[in-house]
Amino acid sequence: MSLAVDLVMVLLILTAAVWTILARDRRDAVIAFIVLGLLLSLVWMRLLAVDVALTEAAVGGGATGLVLLRACARLLPVEADGALPGLRLQVAVGVLCAVVGACLAAVILSPPEPAPSLAPAVAAHMEDVGLKNPVTVVLLAYRALDTLLEKVVLVLGLIGVWALAPDLFWGGRPASLRAAVPSGTLTFLARVLPPIGVLIGIYLVWNGADHPGGTFQGGTVLAAMWLLVMMADLGDPPETRALRLRRLVAVGPALFIAVGLAGFGMADGFLSYPPGYAKPIIVAVEVALALSIAVILGLMVAGPAAKEPDQ
Amino acid sequence: MAEFLFAAAAIVLVLTGLGLARMLWGPSPADRMMAAQLLGTGGGAIAVLVAIAGDMTAVLDIALTLALLAAFAAVALTLGEPGSKRRGGEE
Repeated sequence: MSLAVDLVMVLLILTAAVWTILARDRRDAVIAFIVLGLLLSLVWMRLLAVDVALTEAAVGGGATGLVLLRACARLLPVEADGALPGLRLQVAVGVLCAVVGACLAAVILSPPEPAPSLAPAVAAHMEDVGLKNPVTVVLLAYRALDTLLEKVVLVLGLIGVWALAPDLFWGGRPASLRAAVPSGTLTFLARVLPPIGVLIGIYLVWNGADHPGGTFQGGTVLAAMWLLVMMADLGDPPETRALRLRRLVAVGPALFIAVGLAGFGMADGFLSYPPGYAKPIIVAVEVALALSIAVILGLMVAGPAAKEPDQ
Repeated sequence: MAEFLFAAAAIVLVLTGLGLARMLWGPSPADRMMAAQLLGTGGGAIAVLVAIAGDMTAVLDIALTLALLAAFAAVALTLGEPGSKRRGGEE
């Protein structure tokens, strides 16, 4: 029974993956990719990796799909030229992708025996941190430096997106995200869904300390609700020069770095927490990070400034 | 009871899987997106069934997230309509 279910899942995933590559139309490929993300989320659920399943559902199913569909919309004028890459380029890209795929398959299909694992060490020291979700313990205590750098990369990514704006538009608003065809249904959805979505986003962040969930999942859900409001034309993207906005972008990583530096004085070194205070510090950092992630993801999708700043 | 719920989850998986035929055949992008939507809804249903059958409340959160963001992805499709005049700043 369970083998049959697994086989069905594998079959569906292979179908979606192959179709993502074979689809002639760019948008068809993106939709297949969204389907792939949703299916992967079910697979992670099947493997009892609830944290990963949540991330995949939020990022793979929702956020990535939006980014890619927006990229498709931007490429429409380019597509109209009808200029396709030459045969040699196509073959080169295909061969390179196949080589990367084969290397990954080789690595994944020959894992070391026994698999190296630090899970027992983490499980043994869970009480020291005071959280009950082992994933959050690893992300914000034992591997906090990785998490910190990951958030800094997000800020750098946003700066990279903003840097694409022409000088004239620097500091202005990104292009409006509103849908091509104004629709009452969309407006209705954008009025009804965000209150529920914001609640779920906050819940996921708050829950992350002791149960599956966390900053990235919660932040992505919050960003999605903000983008929904912008797409339904109920709110414009903000001016990228707005100080309040930039503070929100920086607050998460800045607090994280401050906490890390404070570790020199109050504990054993960079990013180590004083005994007994680990949980409140981690929760505070998570809240700030979730805010920053939500704003950064929303602004990344909105894109570089495309209008002159208001006088 | 748990076995029954797991079996129901398996049936939902197979049925939404069949719905993916629309992703392959289309013909319009909206048809394909509806298949993805069905998977979001079906995935949520599967998560709820598994959560109750396996007594794993955390899995309910997956159902919440799927239900919320699958709807969101469908809205994103409106961005890609041909003849779109969204790019206000560059016109």
